[in-house]
Amino acid sequence: MTMQPTTGTDPAPMDAEGKSTLTLHVNGRDHTVRARTHHTLLEVLRGELGLTGPREGCGVGMCGACTVLLDGAPVSGCLLLAGLAEGRDIVTVEGLEGADGSLHPIQQAYVDHTAFQCSYCTPGFLLATKALLEEQPDPTRDEAKHYLAGNLCRCGSYVKILDAVMDAKGRVGPGAAEGETAAD
Amino acid sequence: MTDFAHRGTIDPARGGMLDAVERVTGRIQYTIDLQVPGMLHAKLLRSTAAHARIVSIDTTRAKAVPGVAVVLTGADLAERTDIQPWYGPVFRDQPILAIGKVRYVGEPVVAVAAVDTDTAMQAIELIDVVYEEIPAVFTLDDALAENAPLVHEEPPLVGQTFADLIIDSEAGTNVCNHFKLRKGDIEAGFAAADEVFEHTFTSPPVQHVPMETHACIADVRDGRVTVWDSAQIPFVIRSQLAEIFKIPQTRVRVIIPMLGGGYGAKTYPKIEPVTAMLSFFARKPVRLHLTREEEFVTITKHGVRIKLRTGVKRDGTIIARQSECHFNTGAYGDIGPRLIKNGGYGTGGPHFIPNVWVDSYAVYTNIVPAGAFRGYGVSQAAWAYETQMDMIAEQMGWDPFAFRMQNLLEDGQTVMTGEPMFDARFKELLDRAATWIGWDNAEAPARNGSKVRAKGISCIIKGTVTPSTSTASVKLNDDSSLDVLTSSVEMGQGMQTSMALFAAERLGIPVDRVNVTAPDTDITPYDQQTSSSRTTHAMGTAIMGAVDDVRGQLRDLAAEELEIDADDLELVDGVVRVKGTPDRAVDFGELVRRSRSGNLLGSSTFRSEGGLDPETGQGIGSVHWHQAAGAAEVEVDLETGKVDVLRYHAGVYAGRIINPVQAELQTEGNIAFGLGQALFEDMIFDNGQLQNGNLADYMIASIVDLPDDMHPDVLEHLEANDIHGIGETSLPPVMPAIGNAVYRATGVRITDLPITPEKVLRGLRARASEEAPAP
Repeated sequence: MTMQPTTGTDPAPMDAEGKSTLTLHVNGRDHTVRARTHHTLLEVLRGELGLTGPREGCGVGMCGACTVLLDGAPVSGCLLLAGLAEGRDIVTVEGLEGADGSLHPIQQAYVDHTAFQCSYCTPGFLLATKALLEEQPDPTRDEAKHYLAGNLCRCGSYVKILDAVMDAKGRVGPGAAEGETAAD
Repeated sequence: MTDFAHRGTIDPARGGMLDAVERVTGRIQYTIDLQVPGMLHAKLLRSTAAHARIVSIDTTRAKAVPGVAVVLTGADLAERTDIQPWYGPVFRDQPILAIGKVRYVGEPVVAVAAVDTDTAMQAIELIDVVYEEIPAVFTLDDALAENAPLVHEEPPLVGQTFADLIIDSEAGTNVCNHFKLRKGDIEAGFAAADEVFEHTFTSPPVQHVPMETHACIADVRDGRVTVWDSAQIPFVIRSQLAEIFKIPQTRVRVIIPMLGGGYGAKTYPKIEPVTAMLSFFARKPVRLHLTREEEFVTITKHGVRIKLRTGVKRDGTIIARQSECHFNTGAYGDIGPRLIKNGGYGTGGPHFIPNVWVDSYAVYTNIVPAGAFRGYGVSQAAWAYETQMDMIAEQMGWDPFAFRMQNLLEDGQTVMTGEPMFDARFKELLDRAATWIGWDNAEAPARNGSKVRAKGISCIIKGTVTPSTSTASVKLNDDSSLDVLTSSVEMGQGMQTSMALFAAERLGIPVDRVNVTAPDTDITPYDQQTSSSRTTHAMGTAIMGAVDDVRGQLRDLAAEELEIDADDLELVDGVVRVKGTPDRAVDFGELVRRSRSGNLLGSSTFRSEGGLDPETGQGIGSVHWHQAAGAAEVEVDLETGKVDVLRYHAGVYAGRIINPVQAELQTEGNIAFGLGQALFEDMIFDNGQLQNGNLADYMIASIVDLPDDMHPDVLEHLEANDIHGIGETSLPPVMPAIGNAVYRATGVRITDLPITPEKVLRGLRARASEEAPAP
């Protein structure tokens, strides 16, 4: 993952609470938020934007429960400072559904296979699956397994998750990607 | 497309989750997602000493931080007469915040509530605590030594607790409880044995690692306590908070949203007392959400040492077993004093043994408290006896499969707690496991380069808490839809869906017309606990009874309406109709309307009977016995000692399967859970300081650790007309099945979990040096 400095040379001015204003491009829309410089993207998505899909599991980037897509690549929201996400394209699980509320084909595959138990980790797995299928539209089961090794599911729903991923790859066509561009 | 018909339904033949859409959209709400207006945020300062007197706590600078509402110490609580500052489900031995001394590294000492977590954290960093360290005990040997320092000097307070509990503390020692089981005549048993085997087995503390750590929001104002909580056991949270605040239980409301995993970690109060206390002092709602590092120092699985003596006869029968079990329960009892019973009698195993003697102890030490953990003591017991079964078979020259089959319990034979076994499926389960894995005792390990493969098997018995109680109520609405009110907790096991399926089937309405509530102690009736693999059986029975209550009312209403004897009526597909005259029928909703009750209320209670004699451990140990078998094929790299599990069969008896996919998921989950405990999970302490309490240093099974070939085998026998819990049952076989396979591959017998590459390599070297000719 490459980090780019925010645009401009002056640091954003801080208010009395030590917060500065950031503009984040999340799920196809710009959002203005206030955050302290040490706040992570996860904290801001949850606290400022009310997006509850990304969830803290470990706080050290090891479990994948806070996975979001940053310019299409899966990253741990708990490790990325919110300020560094300015100007980047951020997708959370809330950005997967169609405008009409229809499920993304990957979500539908997870439903069809019941690829979860407590489902706390599910948004992270869904986004990692999306990134996988964009990088590699036709992965083998083994390739999928290694790609998803950074997402932990303590309930151990891994077999059904892999079943869902292998099923989803047939459902995700060029159409899914187009839908997203339209949302932008 | 989004539409109502598409959501909230499943194919009952396949199963699944009624709220699947909420789960894949991220909209499902856990405690961490809730916002209460005006809510403050809490942080805890935790002890850096394992055992120390608190000399002083200086909170002056913390209190001066703008935005800090409350800074609370144990002394602030101890001085008040309107607060009971000690809690715990058995002994009230745990202070809400350390009072006078600390007993483990990580114990909460000071709590802060502030406008946001940054401010609370800033205040925490400005608190100075002076400790005077005193000698500590970390291991069982430390704690059991003569004149060992006492973790608790005073005998702990006992309060209202569970019906099945047996208390036998040893004052002036670190033994906080002792469970005894005496079946048959142990002396005569060993005297009749041809061979007696004695081995010691250990299991380390491990952590549950629910992906959602503990979270709680408390609002204590105007004489009312409301908590939103990630807990498996709402009514114990309620009774304990009532006791702490010295108020009637009706003043305490416990609401449980979805849980992001529990596995036992969320049974019994953990963070609720301190969160509620902060709210009480702040007079504002307060939220506490533990970090992963804090979760690791909140509760663990018990580290256990089990000494097992087993006497066998030359004809292959087991004639006597004696076990001495020491459970390291850490600094506070939590449910340890009760868990030692199940873990203790659990060492009797699934075999018919006429003479059994068990002494099981909960021992206080200065490490993180241990409590309920998926398997509830039986994993540690099964690791011991199922490993020893293979050791005995090898010594005696028997096939471990045949040795087990000869001794596994049959209907009518007495289990370790003395009652006769019924609906025994052990032999069928083990036979299916052996068949699937391709068991052949004569098969030599398969060698390929540095790698060697072999197979292992195991079989276990597990009780479910007995006696126990669950109450459910239902409301039939005037459109023939049904609300099911239950205090069972949805934590990923699919409880809400299973209960909806029960109710829908029993009443004869489609499942998408059933709503199952989440627990809210102001509204939903009593349930003892969502644990012990009991919900489907216990709450399921209560819900079916509640539906039957409503069915009876419908029948009576229809009898009046149709002017016919109630016995001549039948309930089919949402109507009550005259038997043999299907067109003389009246719709459920219509009957509700004509009753002018608004809705028809039904309720029912499930009560299981039983319990054990405190001196002999004999009686009724479990309302029925949960049964499972495992078979593993492993590959061990002789150069690195690394163990890969290639294939695994998890067999479990379900009686009747309610939700097929969920049954499979729970069983697969047990494989993942057990594989981690077999091969790498281990909380490592150095002088009481946890060394690997985070997910960078503590590994849990990921998708790549699992065998490619996994076979969840959920066994159904409808003729038994019973429902067995399967949430935990297939877990305990995993560790010994893998350990036995590793031995057969390498000749290295590991008796202390986990089976790490280091231990395997050390064992291989020891074997090599034994076999090498003397120089």
